[in-house]
Amino acid sequence: MRLTEVEAAMEAGALGKGAAWAIAYQKRVGEFFEAEDFAEIRFAHMITDAETLGASGLAFLEEMAAMPAEDRRLRTLAIVDSRGFDDRAFERLLPGTPLVGDTQRAIDALGRMGAMKAHGYFNNHSIPLPAFGESCAFSGTPTVVYANSMVGVRSNFEAGPSAIAAMLTGRVPRYGFHLDANRRGTDYFKLEGTPKNTADWGAVGAIVGRHLASYWKVPVIDGVAERPDAISLNHLALCLASYGSHAMFHVVGVTPEARDAQDAFGGPPPEPTVVTQADIDAFHREYEGDGEQLDVVAFGAPQLTMPEVYTVAETLAGRRVHENTTLLVYTPLEIKEACHRAGIAQQIEDAGGMLVHGPDFFATFAKEIRAAQGWTRLMTQSVKTANITEGYGYVPVAAPLEDCIESAVAGRIVRTA
Amino acid sequence: MSVITGHKGIGGQVRGTALVASDNFSTRYDLDLDRGVFSRRAHKLFGESYVGRVLVLNAAKGGVASAWMLREMVINEKAPLALLLNDANPVMAQGAAFAELPFMHRFETDITQAIRTGDTVLVDPQAGRVTVEPAS
Repeated sequence: MRLTEVEAAMEAGALGKGAAWAIAYQKRVGEFFEAEDFAEIRFAHMITDAETLGASGLAFLEEMAAMPAEDRRLRTLAIVDSRGFDDRAFERLLPGTPLVGDTQRAIDALGRMGAMKAHGYFNNHSIPLPAFGESCAFSGTPTVVYANSMVGVRSNFEAGPSAIAAMLTGRVPRYGFHLDANRRGTDYFKLEGTPKNTADWGAVGAIVGRHLASYWKVPVIDGVAERPDAISLNHLALCLASYGSHAMFHVVGVTPEARDAQDAFGGPPPEPTVVTQADIDAFHREYEGDGEQLDVVAFGAPQLTMPEVYTVAETLAGRRVHENTTLLVYTPLEIKEACHRAGIAQQIEDAGGMLVHGPDFFATFAKEIRAAQGWTRLMTQSVKTANITEGYGYVPVAAPLEDCIESAVAGRIVRTA
Repeated sequence: MSVITGHKGIGGQVRGTALVASDNFSTRYDLDLDRGVFSRRAHKLFGESYVGRVLVLNAAKGGVASAWMLREMVINEKAPLALLLNDANPVMAQGAAFAELPFMHRFETDITQAIRTGDTVLVDPQAGRVTVEPAS
């Protein structure tokens, strides 16, 4: 790889041991993927938890944090996910279980290195966006797929040590989605039918993701009759990453690098695969259960935006959640606080629902909560939540947010359309 | 004896016995990391020990967990000797580079068909070369 003066200084050890380790590590990965040089990044964001870190990962972080300041200086804006837990909610969900521990030690180690401990995700619209064409290093796969596809930011999946290396060097090897050639479409899909809500858009992501299932493939979705909003596209993005490991997609006429199909492919598009309304309906039928008793409604993945929390309150319209059903609304802490200031949170709490901040439902003891509460039937606006919680023993249904609320009030699964 | 060329890889030269299947690979979903065996029932290598073997599989799958786990496996002496895949993804390469585990991908042929379980394999990632001595 071609190195600039400052990169060569890092490699030679002139800028500290941390940077020397990091640039050598990044070069190994970069050369593996034929990167010719490095791309400087605007910022790096990392999510971490004790389970994936393991004892050696935690030791690695703590040893690095214990080095002299000059050896571990960070060279970009670095943010480590530090959302904490909603103690009040967990007193009820999982009484008597310690929630912090090694995860917090890892976050604190990165904090000592100079990373900002924050809980904002720009795909939750809780922190500012980088601009079109800028390179970044993100470890969260939903953030990567959203950033590449919808914002035109450039990032690969930069998992654990890779995000730390990017924090230490302020750059990443330029391969994968940092290069124009790899951002172009590889596979063409034509929508016949109009996805109507987040569950439908999630289904489209699941169908396409299952079909392609490769990090390097970039699906191009055409034939969208109604321009989807950012929330719907976020559900599409999450499911493409969750079901297909995708890091980038285009929606023709909607996402910024796909003004038309020719633009998305950088040439004439290949023969399309058709996705019909019947395909979307068939996907939803994998999860049935109309009329059955409902234990829990979990909104998250992605966590709700402020307008969606408003929709929850407005749909409840002064009614109460059924006594046999629990309504959980996962939302970032800033939005929860903003909803309290706005008086919306109280409306939901008065109706018997709970606003929960912290890591998402599927990522936070969902399996243990099921056992502790004796829950089975779950309803959600998110296909990704349905996909993951099924593995935890829930019997899930993904449906429009309004249907989930009506069902929470009725205490059983109901459909409005 | 046959020689297969691939893309220049990660890590140093090693020689060992191959364990091969045409399945994909995730450290999080396929392995029992304490016992060092494949633990997912649907995997063709279910029940097989991968410790100290040259592991040959099709493609990397799964999320960010592999980036930390390969090094943890090496430290705990519950790691394969080397990993050969037809298709890598960034997370698996980031994990192998962190662990300094010999790792190659993108061969001239389907690597899961070119090597059989039990073959002795010399893996030279820096030369981009795998030498196979078939088990007799």
